[in-house]
Amino acid sequence: MIRTRNLRSLACAGLLAPVLMNAQLDRSRPPVAGPAPVVHLGEHTSTTLSNGVHVIVVEDHKLPLVSVQLRFDIPPVHQSGMAGYVDMVGELLATGTATRTKAQIDGMVDSLGANFFATSDGVYAGALKKNLAPLMDLLTDVVQNPLFPTDELEKARTRDLSAVQQRAEDPEGIAEAVGRSVTFGPSHPYGEMHTERTIKAITRTAVEAYHRYYFRPENAYLVFVGDITAKEANDYAKKLFGKWKPAKSLVTTDEFGRTVVEGIGALVPLEKPTTPSGVRRVYGVDRPGAAQSVIRVSFPLNLIPKDIRAQQATVMNTILGGGIFNARLMQNLREKNGFTYGAYSSLEIDRFNSSLTATASVRTEVTDSAITEILLEIERLRNEPVTQAELDLAKSHMSGSFGRSMEDPKTVARFALNTELNGLSADHYKTYLSRLEGVTIEQVQDAANAFLHPDQAVILVVGDLEQRRQGLMELSMDGKGIIQLNDDGSPWEEKLTPVQGKVAEQVLETHIHAIGGREAIAPIRDLHIERQVVRGADTLSENEWFSAIEYRSILKRDGAVIEEYIHDGERVLYTDPEVTGELNDAGYEAIQLRGRVVPAMGYAKAMEWMELLGSTTLMGETVYKLRLRTAYGLTFAEYYNAESGLLVRRVDDFYYNGRQWHMTTDYNDWKGVNGVQFPHTIVEQGAPWGKSVRTIIDVEVGKPKPVTFFEVNIPEMPDLPVPPEMLPPLDIIPEDQ
Amino acid sequence: MEVAALFAHPNIQPPTFATPGSGATPMRILLSLSIAAMLVAPAVAQKRAINYTEFDLPNGLHVIIHEDHATPIVAVSVMYHVGSKNEDPSRRGFAHFFEHLLFEGSANIKRGEFSKIVENAGGVLNANTSGDRTYYYEVLPSNRLELGLWLESERMLHAKVDQVGVDTQREVVKEERRQRYENQPYGTLTMEVLRRAFKEHPYQWPTIGYMEDLNAATEADYQAFYKKFYVPNNATLVLAGDLDPVQARTMAERYFGDIPRGAPVTQPTIVEAPLGGEVRDVIHDRIQLPAVVMGYRIPANGTPDFYAVELLNRVLSGGNSARMNTALKDEQQLAIYTGAFNFPFEQPGIAMLFAIANAGVEVNALETAMQREVDRLSTTPISATELAKLKVQVETEAIADNGRVAGIAGNLATAHVLLGNTELINTELDRYLSLTAEDLQRAARTYFVKDNRVVLHYLPKNQP
Repeated sequence: MIRTRNLRSLACAGLLAPVLMNAQLDRSRPPVAGPAPVVHLGEHTSTTLSNGVHVIVVEDHKLPLVSVQLRFDIPPVHQSGMAGYVDMVGELLATGTATRTKAQIDGMVDSLGANFFATSDGVYAGALKKNLAPLMDLLTDVVQNPLFPTDELEKARTRDLSAVQQRAEDPEGIAEAVGRSVTFGPSHPYGEMHTERTIKAITRTAVEAYHRYYFRPENAYLVFVGDITAKEANDYAKKLFGKWKPAKSLVTTDEFGRTVVEGIGALVPLEKPTTPSGVRRVYGVDRPGAAQSVIRVSFPLNLIPKDIRAQQATVMNTILGGGIFNARLMQNLREKNGFTYGAYSSLEIDRFNSSLTATASVRTEVTDSAITEILLEIERLRNEPVTQAELDLAKSHMSGSFGRSMEDPKTVARFALNTELNGLSADHYKTYLSRLEGVTIEQVQDAANAFLHPDQAVILVVGDLEQRRQGLMELSMDGKGIIQLNDDGSPWEEKLTPVQGKVAEQVLETHIHAIGGREAIAPIRDLHIERQVVRGADTLSENEWFSAIEYRSILKRDGAVIEEYIHDGERVLYTDPEVTGELNDAGYEAIQLRGRVVPAMGYAKAMEWMELLGSTTLMGETVYKLRLRTAYGLTFAEYYNAESGLLVRRVDDFYYNGRQWHMTTDYNDWKGVNGVQFPHTIVEQGAPWGKSVRTIIDVEVGKPKPVTFFEVNIPEMPDLPVPPEMLPPLDIIPEDQ
Repeated sequence: MEVAALFAHPNIQPPTFATPGSGATPMRILLSLSIAAMLVAPAVAQKRAINYTEFDLPNGLHVIIHEDHATPIVAVSVMYHVGSKNEDPSRRGFAHFFEHLLFEGSANIKRGEFSKIVENAGGVLNANTSGDRTYYYEVLPSNRLELGLWLESERMLHAKVDQVGVDTQREVVKEERRQRYENQPYGTLTMEVLRRAFKEHPYQWPTIGYMEDLNAATEADYQAFYKKFYVPNNATLVLAGDLDPVQARTMAERYFGDIPRGAPVTQPTIVEAPLGGEVRDVIHDRIQLPAVVMGYRIPANGTPDFYAVELLNRVLSGGNSARMNTALKDEQQLAIYTGAFNFPFEQPGIAMLFAIANAGVEVNALETAMQREVDRLSTTPISATELAKLKVQVETEAIADNGRVAGIAGNLATAHVLLGNTELINTELDRYLSLTAEDLQRAARTYFVKDNRVVLHYLPKNQP
């Protein structure tokens, strides 16, 4: 209800907008929009000094503040084993000049109440207008006369080494750094990782040479924004940078035709952008017990800012996950599934190498499901046109952002600088909104097909890999499963500590003792174990019978046999619904071992070779790792708890169906039956048939089966092929990562 | 202030003009600390006074209107005077949970449509919660002011508070908790300090709350909380930007005038006894570099000594030339990061000083060096030069802080709701500028003393 006095005040103001005249407020629908306001793009001036310094000025006198950026146009530089030195240029730039110490510089900045940030491609500063003159002097001095003092470099090195060390416990930091490394590759400037080794290798010579070669007037853009006139700004520019003509670096050409800069070495130019290649890979950095998995799905792209499709791709990315709440990733992973606090995609378009990256932090149990949903959303954008409503929302968001960005006068300066650096047409930003309006559903789908590559994605998971090994392996398409890396991006290798004065046989003997001892195990005859097996969506039943040397196992689904082994002490018969036949060689060996009440008791006889490789940590406990090989080459590893002696895990690495498999079998929940410990839960992950959890339902001892129960009748079928899944695991060394 | 937001803004731009051309990853600074979000400049005044009008509707809703036509956008925001300190001790996290829940829709807005309506209008929205208040806002093109009022009035009048929304958002909040606190190095730092700094006062629990409390809550609990706190007499509406103040006022009356007044809301009156002796503890976290945290009990935001302690924090960590930075980082090379700031609580709260050690630095050595700087504040008055430096920093930040309508809207709401005087947006700066070196020394002697603090050592998990 509108009260009379308000009507009067409205009338006085001459603002009797029709919508307000309705006496009754209709809450049932959103109010109608008035005419859209016109977005005014602010003006800038642009001049070039005789030595090449470009000067851009944006006047805005609303607040008595001025910001200044001196930006050098520098291509990405490969740091060749010294990754971190380019950043170090920024860290050290303001730590000493010919006439000022770091303490003096810091004191001056703070006394002016100023902002002052130096980076590897320039300096950003800002202050009240009344404090601008001394700030400009400082900026000039820092850029033109830096000393890169050795002691400051060592301090920065200490800090950078500490930061690298801290990154090891920062999952998002790891994901960002390792993610870039695996997306672009370590030979790409964007893929180089700062590590302890590279930071230790940084030299002052390189830092100084980089500054000398790249911080030059002909590369420089001096940008003023705020409470300053173009004349004042240009006067500063001329006075402080007009006569700047620093000595040039010594540059030669090497035998490969590359530019060699004294102090830096041969420049490795980025000849062409890295693009998606090969097939989908899964990388993992393991953090046992992590609260969440940080996931990252990315691919590099060849898309430059002046490409007409850049804006279409940005619309496409907005719909996928680019910063709005109604983007598909956010709606799917957060609002529909509750997997995460936020899921996003970002499209970084730069003139050297672009990339698209989708990220989310999710709880461990849904790690692979969340990645699957991300890939599905990417696939859906390629295969189906987006709806008109989605397109409209994305456009509204983008035009709204464009309008809001005008509130900050730095936006106009950013546009001017981007136009120059990226070679955009002069009216690129003036036509931004009208071009945006013209983007069609078809163009969005075309952009999705051109720039989204779900089958070539680089997936990285930083989290508790063990919990989701199976699901993650299945996302991999390169036949390598999870390519495990360390937090610094280097290939992961199990860290084994040599164990002195102990051999494999002793570990096995300790194990046998731990589960009851030979005296208790030996008399166990006529053992029957019944298990429930959950394999994927299937629930199966498994029965095993152990006699003196005979063994039989039957796996059933809904009462029908799907897999059966019979070992009569000499031969093994395998049967499934399609084939039946004798297993030989390694297949025979595998069942012979499995047919033992305690397999380890047969190792001494069955193994051609076994070795205690060392000790390591598994799920927080110290374990001994054994490597074992049978006469026919069946090779696997086993981990025994150093404290309890119990078997913790077996690992089989093998090739099957054209790819590498890394199968882990975990033995949990050891409990005694007739004085002998059995693992009541066995979890297999990474097998070609998926994850399975085998749980004991019942154990019976002392109910003998007739001899005929273990009878092996080999059918008359010469040259029967061995079922492929029974092929001996070949000990193939994985390809280099 | 411990602030939790509805969702994180993923693309935070660096303070430079150009989009990064090299794409090189800057080394992640250790500011991923959730406390980084608290390093908020004080809401203070500037030379160019911020204009505003304010009035109360008959139902108790306080309305503040600020006019600025520089850019055709408007900010519409509502600050509810409810935060985690208003929660029942068995329902910790409710205020923050409501921040999520109240985006679920209303009698006229279908589930999930709230954000869609805003984004379709070319606007942005978000919300955040602290110990004292919850803040919801939209920034819209200026022709959509009325839309913002409709949305916020729907939220206040008849938001959808039901089990479906509760179930979805509970999962989201669990993940928020994991992402921002549990899976972040030092992520638990503020909650560990607060739980030891307060024994009685509800500031002892984190804004994000505890999942067990959220799990235990029933739909009726949620509805009761909504009815109690999300009422016009406990809210402040701010309209800022490209608007006509007279028309805006009429619209505010139209959309909010009929919302019934709720029962009076009272703020907790628990007065926490002095800490009565230093509290010390060791926290083992998944970190590589040890850290030292000192949490000192201080007076409420808005009191003279609160400002004095703010300036003391600045002496320690305001810029590269500040004392902890020069001593701990440059001279002794003990720390990779140092910081000092107040939690701007409206009731007596804490100031937090902390430092993260360089690799290989022993935690006690770091604490000793910090302590030396803290002690100096009591023994020797700061120089006139140093005091002048603090004041020019505060002045510059105060001006920059009121550069955007969204920021102005937030500052106006904060001044009214937490400080009880909207005009402080223009005059709070004077409170800093009037402080003397003696004021600071006295504050240091009063508050930065051992009996008044919690000291935590953060150590890597495997380090005894």
